[in-house]
Amino acid sequence: MEDVGSVVARVGAAWLALVFALIVLPSALGISLGISEAYMWVLVKTLEWATIRIEKGVKKPQPEILKTPAANGIIERDETPMEKEIARLHRVDFEFSDIFYFCRKGFEAIVEDEVTQRFSSEELVSWNLLTRTNVNFHYISLRLTVVWVIGVIVRYCFLLPLRFTLAAIGITSMIVGTTMVGQLPNSSVKNYLSEVVHLTCSRILVRALSGTIHYHNKENKPQKGGICVANHTSPIDAIILTNDGCYAMVGQVHGGLMGVIQRATVKACPHVWFERSEIKDRHLVTRRLREHVADKSKLPILIFPEGTCINNTSVMMFKKGSFEIGGTIYPVAIKYDPQFGDAFWNSSKYNIVSYLLRIMTSWAIVCNVWYMPPMVRKEGEDAVQFANRVRSAIAHQGGLTELHWDGGLKRAKVKDTFREEQQKNYSKMLVRNGSIG
Amino acid sequence: PRGAHPPHLSLFSPPTVTSEQIEHLHRRFKQLSHDQLTIRKENFDSIPDLEFNPIRGKIVHAFFDKRNLRQESDGLVDEINFEDFLTIMSYFRPIEMNMDEEQLDRFRKEKLKFLFHMYDSDHDGKITLQEYRNVVEELLSGNPHLEKESARSIADGAMMEAASICVGQMGPDQVYEGITFEDFLKMWQGIDIETKMHVRFLNMETIAHCY
Repeated sequence: MEDVGSVVARVGAAWLALVFALIVLPSALGISLGISEAYMWVLVKTLEWATIRIEKGVKKPQPEILKTPAANGIIERDETPMEKEIARLHRVDFEFSDIFYFCRKGFEAIVEDEVTQRFSSEELVSWNLLTRTNVNFHYISLRLTVVWVIGVIVRYCFLLPLRFTLAAIGITSMIVGTTMVGQLPNSSVKNYLSEVVHLTCSRILVRALSGTIHYHNKENKPQKGGICVANHTSPIDAIILTNDGCYAMVGQVHGGLMGVIQRATVKACPHVWFERSEIKDRHLVTRRLREHVADKSKLPILIFPEGTCINNTSVMMFKKGSFEIGGTIYPVAIKYDPQFGDAFWNSSKYNIVSYLLRIMTSWAIVCNVWYMPPMVRKEGEDAVQFANRVRSAIAHQGGLTELHWDGGLKRAKVKDTFREEQQKNYSKMLVRNGSIG
Repeated sequence: PRGAHPPHLSLFSPPTVTSEQIEHLHRRFKQLSHDQLTIRKENFDSIPDLEFNPIRGKIVHAFFDKRNLRQESDGLVDEINFEDFLTIMSYFRPIEMNMDEEQLDRFRKEKLKFLFHMYDSDHDGKITLQEYRNVVEELLSGNPHLEKESARSIADGAMMEAASICVGQMGPDQVYEGITFEDFLKMWQGIDIETKMHVRFLNMETIAHCY
């Protein structure tokens, strides 16, 4: 018995030493050993092989219908604007025909609606060996199944413990590090050390997710005294960004582990944490953020204006509050590659723990981050227009579609005002066409 | 397992809907029904895109209309299962290239019948002036500047046109009871509706779901 115990202890120690040497130390120094790159290369080769096997296995003749990536819908939508459609039908001057347009729109919405679709994970066009697909997975070959089983073993028995260890190390060092730095009096040394601690811990956490991040246009990185604005897909968005720079976070105070982290980090670096009661008071929030931004020596604040997690195929309405603060806005577009792991957090379907478990048993998190040139509010532009302008830029850069819907629709129904708008437009058109005899 | 497999495809006489499309519709059905076996009217409330639509009520109604569900009796059902859902969806099938004259004609009649049922809300086989007024009012509701009178005159004007096509010149004492289905068909002669009343599926290759 004793032998087993000592063997286990020695293995454990060796394991930790390896992790420390290969991962933690390079994170602190900001260098990369190339392990992730090798891993990704192997992964890509395996997935390509798997896709080819599946395509060989599917022998059905494909009819010549349109082929489009499934990410943006399963039906072909007629994008004719309402005015053109009604003008076309009105040559007969029959309102009987107007009903067609709305009928078809209604059916399109029932078969698949643009909004609800964004709150479920993006559908992939090829299989990525992550799970058995429920619909289209047929038993194709023994080899493929064996590879899948090996994949499961690798992910759950090797990657998961490794990642869990790293995450634990990362979070603990963050708490301990920032608490220690927080004891120092305010000075440039303190700021420097705080940055080092934050960066190191972010890097460890990114490695804990096997994250491969490509940063583009680094010359546009957010500067001090600015506001960094990005599209929101998951809670790890923040870590993705802090991996490359230091930001002041904005958010609500939570309980539990998150609360501990928040309280520790705010001692070292001026993050802006709000109590739940304070969040309701919009003026208070805006005022505090304004004070922060006005101080040009403070780190740029990081805000996700959508307010909720969207599935990374589109950008929903930006809440105008962030754009009323003033200052320079640095937009950032984040696009995840769904091939290696689905980063989207469907908060109505999964809680945070099962979400993290899923992330940690995916192959990797691969994403592209584009830093965009700063934007300022123009003369005569109100907050909403400015928000839309920034949103268009982000959507354009990241290759996402824009939707004029509120992320709050994940949980609530459409406001009556929206529906009345549409009806008003329609009747205005009819009246203009001189249909009143 | 409950609701796990979509039913037989026997209700489609030319099998123009692929099994993939059926799978997709089934998934959508489960989403709308919250994994129950049937859908009720309330389940359509969860579609934000549909809220925009002024004739939303009529469209939802159409799903529960016994005439559209090819049932012998009259009136509305309370809930529909997936087979019924597919039956209604089949009204919006796109035309296939290999259809002959007879099939095309039947196709067109089916779509027009669906539309007819949407107007004829009391199920008596005729679209009366009042029923038509209701539809126009629904389409135009929400505009505070358009009074009820204007909506009425639009409706009346359209009915007059319809009457003149169907019955020819009417005497001043004659009462036009309503548009029957045959008259309705006459109105649409020569007008291409097939391309307006269809929903076309994109081709989906091996699609995977990640859980």
